[in-house]
Amino acid sequence: MRGWAGNILDINLTDGAIDVLPLDHEMARLFLGGRGLGARLLWDLVGPEVEPLSPENVLIFTTGPITASASQTSNRFNVSTKSPLTDTILHANSGGWWGMQFKRTGYDALIVRGRAEKPTLIEITAEGVSLQDATHLWGKTVFETTEALGQDRNKRNVLCIGPAGENLVRIAAIMNDKERSLARGGAGAVMGSKNLKAIVVEGTQKNQPADKEQFKFMLYETGKLLKASPLTSQALPEFGTAVVMNVVNEIGALPTRNFQQSQFEGADQISGETITDTILETNQACWACPITCTRITKTSSGKEGEGPEFESAWAFGAQCGIDDLDAITEANYLCNDLGLDTISMGNTIGCAMELAEKRLLHSDLRFGRADLLPGLISDTAYRQGLGNDLAEGSFRMAAKYGAPELSMTVKKLEMPAYDPRGMQGQGLVYATGNRGACHETGNMLGPEVLALPRLIDRFATQGKAGIVSVHQNSAAVIDSLVYCKFANMAVAEEFFARTLTAVTGETFTADDLMMVGERVWTLERLYNLREGFTKADDTLPDRLLNEPVAEGPSKGFTAQIPPMLEEYYAFRGWDKNGVPREKKLKELSLQFAIEVAE
Amino acid sequence: MKIKLYGGLRQKAGVAEREVSGATLREVLEEMCAENTALRTAIFAADVLAPHVRVMINGRDSELADGLETHLSPADQIAVFPPIAGG
Repeated sequence: MRGWAGNILDINLTDGAIDVLPLDHEMARLFLGGRGLGARLLWDLVGPEVEPLSPENVLIFTTGPITASASQTSNRFNVSTKSPLTDTILHANSGGWWGMQFKRTGYDALIVRGRAEKPTLIEITAEGVSLQDATHLWGKTVFETTEALGQDRNKRNVLCIGPAGENLVRIAAIMNDKERSLARGGAGAVMGSKNLKAIVVEGTQKNQPADKEQFKFMLYETGKLLKASPLTSQALPEFGTAVVMNVVNEIGALPTRNFQQSQFEGADQISGETITDTILETNQACWACPITCTRITKTSSGKEGEGPEFESAWAFGAQCGIDDLDAITEANYLCNDLGLDTISMGNTIGCAMELAEKRLLHSDLRFGRADLLPGLISDTAYRQGLGNDLAEGSFRMAAKYGAPELSMTVKKLEMPAYDPRGMQGQGLVYATGNRGACHETGNMLGPEVLALPRLIDRFATQGKAGIVSVHQNSAAVIDSLVYCKFANMAVAEEFFARTLTAVTGETFTADDLMMVGERVWTLERLYNLREGFTKADDTLPDRLLNEPVAEGPSKGFTAQIPPMLEEYYAFRGWDKNGVPREKKLKELSLQFAIEVAE
Repeated sequence: MKIKLYGGLRQKAGVAEREVSGATLREVLEEMCAENTALRTAIFAADVLAPHVRVMINGRDSELADGLETHLSPADQIAVFPPIAGG
């Protein structure tokens, strides 16, 4: 294969049919792969009439044209589906080894339809594709399942769900390579609804570049850039992603106790610096990645595992008022083993803590109760007691107890670790997120805090819409190639375009890539409009819009969404209600979706 | 006034916080780096801040004030971050 394998594996679990479809080359050029290809296929396969947990929903696993090419960070892959948490389009991506290995089986994508009669696993090897009985694995945890199926780092890779996915927990993740996750939006529950426990892959094919000399040159140049940047060669390897904990806290944008405050007095105890000083055992890298940001850690009780990443440390830390790093780290391990999204889990527990403190929920749960984390997480995965409410995610739980306004969500997806009142652009990213409140689809931490590529005033609103749009488009194309966004801290889109050209033998420029990003973002928007979402969904929780921050560097600020939103729609070529205009669809070759346009 | 250090700067300084004095941010940072070449090299590139180093004054990036020439008062809180990334 040269970039694209040209094949889509199509499995219907209801009748056991296994087909191979040709990848439409024009579609591949327009959407590349990963998140873009997933969105394009989902548009055709899953309409508004489909319930997310019904057999009619599909799971679409996609790789990109650079996946498995050995270009730096070319290990990532994507899953697309309709979310049971948000009812929006969902994309989630993950690193590790599985994506590379799946690509080596000779497919660009895997579509899983229907529902198996009994627990099933899919195995894809050089010998062929088979559906196997997985009854003996049903009920087992992620770690048990991964081990039982013979995970072997570079040869045989396991993707599976844990008890949370089996029990249709709306914040369940799909896990791969034991501790990597397709975390957000409840894709694990969709997999559970299909009675699909695992997908095991063993590949033998190679993604060989069309222009080997140019590819080698790009490997060399990209390697130089990653090495020269102190961000990718020092900061991430030395302290991991949680090194941003202190700076986000310092500026007064670290959501604390369910976003009631924006600074946490225990931030340093749960930061990347403290992780490195106290529990870090060693670093680990995903396949073909020189950055090595993964933390392998060991708590004082002797438990070992991956993480926590920044968002997870925040979710079980500041969001829950907990500064016990051991407890946070073990909560992270437990989520990985049971197959749960750490951000949504921690955010939802924080919401429950506030409900309990306000006596809306009868429980001894309180902010700071680190001792309760393991029981709450386990109960969520098995839907026991209060865990059955937590399993519905923050919004549905808060609504049940009569206080939906205490849910810190956008489109029912739990917000990550930035308070929009202290980062106005990040607020716009959350409000307009196609999968809900998400930092991965246009994170403004770079320009608003770290001066990447240059500093802009985090409290300003005018002019933010254009920057947010460009960041969103950039994230969408990186998710479609599929590269790691950390590589983009040192390597510009122009280099990605040159590598893509070398791999596929077809010319792509940086402008081409940015247009792919805009195309993907716009198609996701159209998908949500077709589902019935409107401008009214592009907003933030009332607390962030109307309650000024009480103390610290963001004191007095609220999130100013309406003026930014107006500017945002105009910048994107959408009408005042956020509906893309027909002209924009033609410009982006999205005429097939014209029914939804203005 | 108090200066807080983060990331690898702590190891270079041997402490996470220091008390320093000075009328401007430049004076304060220069005092902190006096007799510590490793720390100075990590913070300064010649006479400007090294690439990706961020200095916050009361939670606001010094670049949005007068940079190294920003005038300080004794109650100001300074935080110095080496190149960091994540999220």
